[in-house]
Order: sequence, then C-alpha cells, then structure tokens
Amino acid sequence: MTYAETGSIGDALLRSGVSRRVLLEFAGKLMVAAPAGLALAAQWSPEAVAEEIAKARRPSVIWLHFQDCTGCTETLLRASKPDLGDLILNLISLDYHETVMAASGKQAEAALRDAMTQNAGKYICVVEGSIPTKDQGIYMKLAGRPALEVLADVAGKAAAVIAIGSCASWGGVPSAGINPTGAVGVDALLKDKPIVNVPGCPPNPYTFLGVVLQYATAGTLPALDAEKRPLFAFDRYIHDHCPRRAHFDAGRFARQFGDEGHRHGYCLYPLGCKGPITHAGCSTRHFNELPEVWPIGIGAPCVGCTERNVAFKIPIFETSAVPAPTPSAQYPEIRPETGTVSAVATGIVGAVVGALAGAAYVASKRFSKVAGDEAVPGAPAGDGGKGGKGV
Amino acid sequence: MARPASRATPLGVPLGVPLGVPLGVPLAPPHASVIHRWQRGVSVREVPLVTPWFLLFAGFFVVGTAIAAFRLFGGSLASFAAMTDVYAWGVWKTFNVMALTALGSSALAVGLAAWVLGRHRLHSVMRTALVTSFLFYTTALLGLLTDVGRPWNFWNLLLPWRWNTESALWEVALAMPVYCALFLLYENGPMVVEKLWNARSDRVRGWVRTWHPRIRKTYPFVVPFAYVLPIIHQSSLGGLMVLAGHKVHPLWQTDLLPLLYLVQALICGFGSVIVVLMTSCLVWRRPLDVKVLGELANLMSWTTLGWLVLRLGDVVVRGRVGDALAMDAFGVLFLAETAAVAVPALVLRSAHLRETPRALYTMALLACLGGIAYRFIPTTLAYAPGAGSTYFPAVPEIVITLGLVATVVGAFSLVVKRFAVLPAPLESWHHAVEHDSHAHPSHRSDAHGHAVHD
Amino acid sequence: MILLSRRHLLRTVGTGLSTAAVGGAAAVAAAPAALAAPRTAPADAVGMLYDTTKCIGCKACVAECAKVNDLVPDTELSGGLWQMPADLNTQTKNIIKLWADPATGQTSFVKRQCMHCVDPACVSGCPFNALQKGALGIVGWDGARCIGCRYCEVSCPFEIPKFEWKKFNPKIVKCELCRHVLDRDGQPGCTRVCPTGAVVFGRRTDLLADAKARVAAHPGTYHLDHVYGETEAGGTQVLYLSHVPFEKLGLPALPDRSVPTGLRHGGVALKLIALPVVLYGVFLGFFRRNWKVHEEEAARLKAEKGLEEQL
Repeated sequence: MTYAETGSIGDALLRSGVSRRVLLEFAGKLMVAAPAGLALAAQWSPEAVAEEIAKARRPSVIWLHFQDCTGCTETLLRASKPDLGDLILNLISLDYHETVMAASGKQAEAALRDAMTQNAGKYICVVEGSIPTKDQGIYMKLAGRPALEVLADVAGKAAAVIAIGSCASWGGVPSAGINPTGAVGVDALLKDKPIVNVPGCPPNPYTFLGVVLQYATAGTLPALDAEKRPLFAFDRYIHDHCPRRAHFDAGRFARQFGDEGHRHGYCLYPLGCKGPITHAGCSTRHFNELPEVWPIGIGAPCVGCTERNVAFKIPIFETSAVPAPTPSAQYPEIRPETGTVSAVATGIVGAVVGALAGAAYVASKRFSKVAGDEAVPGAPAGDGGKGGKGV
Repeated sequence: MARPASRATPLGVPLGVPLGVPLGVPLAPPHASVIHRWQRGVSVREVPLVTPWFLLFAGFFVVGTAIAAFRLFGGSLASFAAMTDVYAWGVWKTFNVMALTALGSSALAVGLAAWVLGRHRLHSVMRTALVTSFLFYTTALLGLLTDVGRPWNFWNLLLPWRWNTESALWEVALAMPVYCALFLLYENGPMVVEKLWNARSDRVRGWVRTWHPRIRKTYPFVVPFAYVLPIIHQSSLGGLMVLAGHKVHPLWQTDLLPLLYLVQALICGFGSVIVVLMTSCLVWRRPLDVKVLGELANLMSWTTLGWLVLRLGDVVVRGRVGDALAMDAFGVLFLAETAAVAVPALVLRSAHLRETPRALYTMALLACLGGIAYRFIPTTLAYAPGAGSTYFPAVPEIVITLGLVATVVGAFSLVVKRFAVLPAPLESWHHAVEHDSHAHPSHRSDAHGHAVHD
Repeated sequence: MILLSRRHLLRTVGTGLSTAAVGGAAAVAAAPAALAAPRTAPADAVGMLYDTTKCIGCKACVAECAKVNDLVPDTELSGGLWQMPADLNTQTKNIIKLWADPATGQTSFVKRQCMHCVDPACVSGCPFNALQKGALGIVGWDGARCIGCRYCEVSCPFEIPKFEWKKFNPKIVKCELCRHVLDRDGQPGCTRVCPTGAVVFGRRTDLLADAKARVAAHPGTYHLDHVYGETEAGGTQVLYLSHVPFEKLGLPALPDRSVPTGLRHGGVALKLIALPVVLYGVFLGFFRRNWKVHEEEAARLKAEKGLEEQL
C-alpha cells in the first residue's frame, strides 16, 4: 500500500484517531530525551513541541533491512502503550518497510519503486542492518539484487540517510570476530549523502524520532559528532551521566552478580561495565517508556553496544579504562608518609661503615703509643726509601 | 749560616696573634734547631702501580662510573635514587658535597697555616693536602653532576645576567668548579712540572725552562685567591641550609651556619690531612714526623676550640640549651656530635699526646667523623624532623658514592706513586733518585736528581 | 734579637691596609643593602583567600586544575579509577585534604597549593632565577634556566615545588595561579569553579581586607581571629581563614621574618666584593712575606744540597 500524499502529521493523527493527549505525552518524552542539541525539542513547553510536530509535513521514510535482526524496528514500534505505537506509525510515513507492510513479493518490489519515484529527492532512507561487501556482496540480496546495489539505488535518491542501529552505523554484530561477510556500515559506502548514524543495539527510539522529526519540521539535521552521531544523544559517556556514579566515586561496587553490592544497586564497574568508554544516552532515555529499564538500571553492566571499538570486541566482563578520571570520594591525609628504605641498601651501608671502623681500629693499633716514636711497622729505621709492600 | 732577613712578624709579636691563635711552637726557620723527618715530597717507588687493593678500588670506580653514566645519559633520578619531594637532597649532595668537601679543605687549612700564618714546617705536607683536596673536590663535583636533574642547563653559568647573586647555591655552583678546575690544578702544577723537568724529552725540558719561571712569578698573587674562594664557598655550603628555615631542627638551624661550616671545614681539613698522612705512612712503610703532625694537630685543636665557642655560644644565645639536654633523639645526636668534635680538641691540648702517633691518629679520625657529622646532620638527620617520611639512599646511590670515594683512594695511590707528594726524609729522595737511575739505565741522573743526557 | 725592617713592615701592612680600605669603602657603600627593609608585596599582587568554614570538600577545584593545566590526573593509587593523589605532586598542583579529630569529631578540609610568598625562599635560593616572582607577584618556573638542583624543594617552608623524579627531562611543578589563562578567564580554574566561594581570587590587599572583615563579622568563628599568610614568613599572597588550628591543617607556624632574610646580612656587595677583596688583600700581604722566606730557603737548598724547591 502506498500513501500517495503524506500531508501534515496533525492531519494524519486526526485521521487515525490518535488523541492529542498522546501527542503531548510524546512531545514531553522527546523533550526529556533530547534536553540539549535538538532544535525541535528546544521549545518552551510540550504544547509548543506538539504544535511544531503537528504542523510538519509527514516525512516519507523508506526503510531498508539488510543484515539485521529487526531489533531496531522493534525498538521503534514496541512502545509499551498501544497508543504510542499508533502515534509513531503516524508521525512518519513508512512508505516501504518490510516488517510492517502488508505486501510481499512482487507487490513489495512495486511498492519500493513507487515510493522512490513519487518522493524522489525528498524521502528519508532509513537503513537497518549492515551491508556485506565480500564477494560482491552476495551474502545479502533483496529481490535478487545485492544489498550494495539496493543501497546505492535507494539512498542515491534520498534526501538524507539515517543508519539506525549499530549494524547500519558501523557493522554491528555481523562485523564481529573475523567478519566473514565483510559487513560494513552505511557511511563506509555512501560518501556524498548526509548520513546520520544512530548506533545502539538497539538504539533508543526517541533518538531516532528526534532526528527524523527535526528533519520534518525544520528540514535540518541535528549537530553531529565525528562519527556522524547526533550530539544531543551521543555527546557524553554513560559514565558521565550514570545514576550510579556516586557509588563509583565512593568506591561502592557490585563485585559479583547477586552479591550485597549488586542487590543494593552499586556501581557495576568491576563486572565489566563499559560505561566509561561508551557514548550513549541510555541513562536518561531508558527503554520501553518505563523508568530504570535500561541495562545498568536492571543490574546488567553496559556492553558498549553503540561503540565500534567496544561492542563485540572487548569482552563483556573485562573492565574498561576510565578516560577522564575525576576525584574520588576519599580524601588524602594532611601529612602522608613517603619514602622507602631498602633493606639491601641498609645492609651495604652497614657493611661499609663496619669495614671502615674495623680498618680504622686496626690501623690505629699499629701506631705506637710512645710519644715521639716516629717508626712505623715495616718501615726500615732511618728512611723509607726502600723495601716493603703496600698498596 | 745566613739568616733570612725577615723571620719574625712586624712589631715583634709572634705571628698569628692578630688572628687569635697562639703559637704552640716558637716559629723557627727550617734550617735551625729540630731536624725533622719530613723534609721533602718523595714518590712511592717500591710498590707496583697496580696492586690487588688498587684493583678493588678501580673496580668500584668502574662500576660507580657505569651506573652514573646510565643515570646521566638515559635514566631518571627515580630509578637510581630514593630521594623524594620531602627529602629532595640525597646522599650525593649531603655527603659527597657537604661532608666530603670538608675533608677536601686541607688545601685551604694547610695553605693558610703555611703561607699566611707562616708555619713553614708544614710545607712538606702541602702537596699531600693539595692532592687530597683536588681529589675530594673533583669527586664531589662529579657526584653533583650525577645528582642534578637538568644538567644541560649548566651553561647558564656562563650567562651572568641569569645569575641569582643572592643564592648560596649559585655561589657554590660557580666557585667550586672554578676553584677545583683552576686553582687546585694550578696549585698542584708544581709537582707535575717537577716530573716534567725530569723527563727524557729535551723539548719538554725546554718548555719547562721557559715557562716555569714565568708561572712561578704569579704564584704569590694567584694562591691567596685560592684561599678566598674556598672561604666563600665553604661558608655558602653552610648558608644553603639557612634557607631551609624551620625544616632544620633548631639545635642546628642558625644564621651562623655559614661561619660554623667554614670553620668546621678548616678543622676537617687539618684532620683529614693528618689521617691521610698517617695512613699513607702505614701503608707504604714510611716514618712519621711527629713534629709536623703535632703542629697540624695543634692547629686543629685551637680551631676546634674556637668553633666550639661559636657553636655552643650560639645554642645558648638562641635559648636552645633545653633542647640540647632533652635526651630525645636530637638532643642525643647533638651531644654525640659535639663530643666527637670536642674530645679531640681537648685531648690534643696535651703536647705529649700531640706527639703520640696513636693518639694523633684516633683523635684525628674522631675529629673528621665529628666534623662530617656536623656538616651532614642538618641536611638529613635533622632535616624535616617529624615529617613522617623517611629517606635512606638506594643501592645505586650508595654504589655511586662508594665509587666516588674509591676513586679518591685509588687515584691518590696512583698519584703518590708517580709524583713526589708524600713527605719523607731527605735521604729518601736520594734513594729514589738512585732507584730511578737503576730502573732506567739510559735515564741517568746526577747527584741532584736531575736527568743527564749525553 | 729580631731585626725589624721598617721597609718590610710598611710594605706588608701597607698592602694589606690599602686593599682593606678599598674593601671597607665598598662595604660602607653596601651597608644600606645590608640593612634593607623587609620586602613587601607588589601593589598589584594577586592571590587567593581560602576559608575552611565554606569548603565542602567537593574537589571541583582539583578536577578543574588538572583540566586547565593539562595535567594527566594521578590515578596511581586507585588503579586507574579516580584522580586520587596522596599529596601535591607532579600531576597535582592543587589538592583538598581532610583533617579529622576522631576524639571530638571535628573536621576541616584544607586546600593546598603554592602560597606565592611575598619574599619566597625558593626564588631567593634558585641559582639561575628559574623560579621568579613575576607579574602580579606570581611565582613562576622557567625551564630554560632550571638545572634541577631541587634547592627550591629544600627551601620552601610549605614543601610545595614537586620534581619529576621519574622523567629524564624533569620539571618543577607547582601552582602558578593559572597565569597562562589569567587574561582569558580573569581568574584561576580553582576559584572559578568553587561552588561555595570557599576560595576566591583577587588583589591581596582586597583579600586581606575581606578576610579581616569576615573575622570581625564572625567573632569566635575563626581560629585566633588570625588570617594565616598576613605575616607568616614575610607574608604570602594566598591567605587562609580556618576554624581549626592551622598546624592541624599542615600550615606550619612560621616567624614573621621571611626565610631569605637570614642570608641577607651584609648584602651581596659586601659578601661578593668587599669581603673577598679585603681577604685577598690580607692574605696577599702575609703571603708575600712568607714567600720571601720560602725563596731564601729555596735558594739555600739549591746552594747547599742542589735540590730544587717543592711548592
């Protein structure tokens, strides 16, 4: 099924019977999820944000699945409340989405072609899953065409590309280990399109929606970092905004799953938490719209799923380095002790002093106790020119 | 016999009174009255240059130098020393420089006594004093080189506008190398020239014949400066610890430190030359000369009494007598150090004991020990007291220090075998000349010990 | 009977006295330097005022100092987890320490860093002026002149300068009041981030007045109603107000006399010019007389025994 016209989001919501209350709720959540760095969410109130969204033209989205697990789709659509799920489906026009569309086979292929031609140059291409490059990319084919070709074709006519999930951002799970299929992310293949990477396994849906809606409302993409990730969600390490940070600073740790510390909700650093080296916003955004539903929140150490150098590379239970250490909660003493005394050194000094003292004693004994006696043992009387051994 | 025209001091007053040191023995020209043993420096000929003991010292030298080279050219101070920010000066600065240059002040002490106070009898031991001073100073400077963390910036010594003339350490950094490299070398020159004069080469002898008189003319003008310089820098070594303020225990910290260190340097200078002379005589089987040694001991004793007045007076004036008698670690240390310095001074007041070899030796050793202790304690044992931190030199530090001391001993034994340094009776000179001409049949000497060429 | 030669007497004493006169004149000229007045802070001297009653020990100043000064935080004790220096060191120019009395439960934080003394011992002792009191009275280090002798460590009464023992090219590291960014930020990093204003930056005169005002406004709060650093060791540009005795916080009891004063008796001109000249003159006088004796003895030796002198 294609949507010939997209119209405004507000109209779409009305038509679908999604209540304004749900839109307001969503707007509020978006503001919390993107407190800084997203122009759309930088409004005075949820009402203002909702109005911006309602005014906007429903963006046309063509969603491609490559080497994926569909988790990113799930994260978007499995909202904990059905209302919200309806809302999301109406915020964007999913003109092509293999998981949710009813069509299949030749009808699906036709749907893709239609969507591309009708919204050429205007649609957003969302890529989920990595693209295999080895052996001319035969390891992932869509309707007989390798993913490489499909990507070049579809993304080539898109206004912007959003790579959702770690797989599309840098290769993800298929790229782990020896990377048998040569899986890479979108930005390794597309060089001349605006790309936004939203890594995560899966990423937070609000991050994705924030980017899309920003584009829909203002036609711009949010500020990105060097890895093309939106700064409003990826500018900080988890460690720098973790609710358990005070435990870390105070040295209160969970050292084994299920121990006292773990049950008290202490810091999971010794269990291999990659929070110190992982950029993501999970600590504020959580998942499933339920508080504390995120890995650390439920007592599972972060595995660094957004970072290409961490996820599926550094073992899960290996402790991570802390790139920018800050003061701990302990204090140094007024007068700390320093200095070490080496036993060997003491021994040597003792031996030398003893030897010198002994030598001095022996030498002094060999001098005469008689005043005026100038003879020295071993010296011939009279002169000292000949004979004798010595040093 | 002709008597020299000016034997006595002006005003008929015995020499030395203006400086407050009464004479122990009436000043007499060398050729009159007492015949004493030590008349001339004679090199040690009977013993080979390289002996097992020498090899031992040379071994220490090699190992110490190797470690020092590693430290200087590729290492950090942390790997080679146990110094910390609390105890920033380790054994090289506090022992090799502060303490051992006191032992190396014999050139100053004997020189002042012989040339300024006019104790002509001491000329026979002058060379020994000069050689030991040179060796102690050189090794102290080498230790200093190993110790500083940024030695490449020593070229700042050549930029006067960068000098901090208020700094005692600047004075030491400038005066000690200049003293050692210029003046001590100059003063040790004559024994080298003497050897060159007896060399085989006519060219060398010609060179000596031309230059020696000219250089000799400068002697009375250069050498007094060689007494001024060490006075400046030995007192500056004391001044160094003044800046440590309250970190030095009050029993030792005083504004008088420069003067006390200077006088102590003189004491140690006398003491060390006595010990060196007597030990050398023991080792190389030479007779002593109790008159000369007694005079040195006498001078040491009087200087020490003067020092004690200053030291104890200073403690009293600053109101620290309570600390001295407190019987805590520092009080006991103070008493021990003072005893080590005072006992020799008092014992050697006895003219009888001053000519008793064993008493001379033990008292001189004790005086040196006490003197070193005095100069060493404010920099380490009495420094930063109660700080809760400790310092004990690390093994590489100790090895380098031992290497430096071994260098002094080994080099000394080399020098006395090749140059006429150690004093001996006149007959030895002639024996040495004979021995020399037997050893080198082609190198004949006349009766005066001068080489003769056909 | 000793023959006294007037000529000899006059010549010898004359030499000595004339040089002594020259030296004495120099000494008189140098005398004003010898009695120089104690040094005072420059008029635009800046500093900090730290008040223990306001410090909450948050250590924002410690973290910020490392950032502004490009220091790698010291994480050795924590195995890489936290910035956890045990004391000021080459990676820590500023530190917060805690004092606690288990008996009474009384506690206090204390911020330690260079005190920027009015008459610093380190500056006085540094042989080549590597440590200098520069603009605004800030004591700074210049690597081009430093020989790494660590005399500054020995002389500092507060034990502040730290030496990079582990490096082949070691530096002296200490707080320099962020002088490299003072123009840009207007104040050092620590005072900028302090959330309670426990440490503030400003002109020393203003800070001293402020401190005294605080003491007056809160009688009985501050220990001995005393501003530490006003006169200690000749005065420091970093001032402390504390509700507990200063010694407990590691701030030593120091006399009002600055540390280098003990060495300034006599002044440089006296020590380095007048005294050496006088001494030289005296020594020269006596030396020359004894030299004559020696020459005669040498001549006699040569004539009678054919031996050369031994100098």
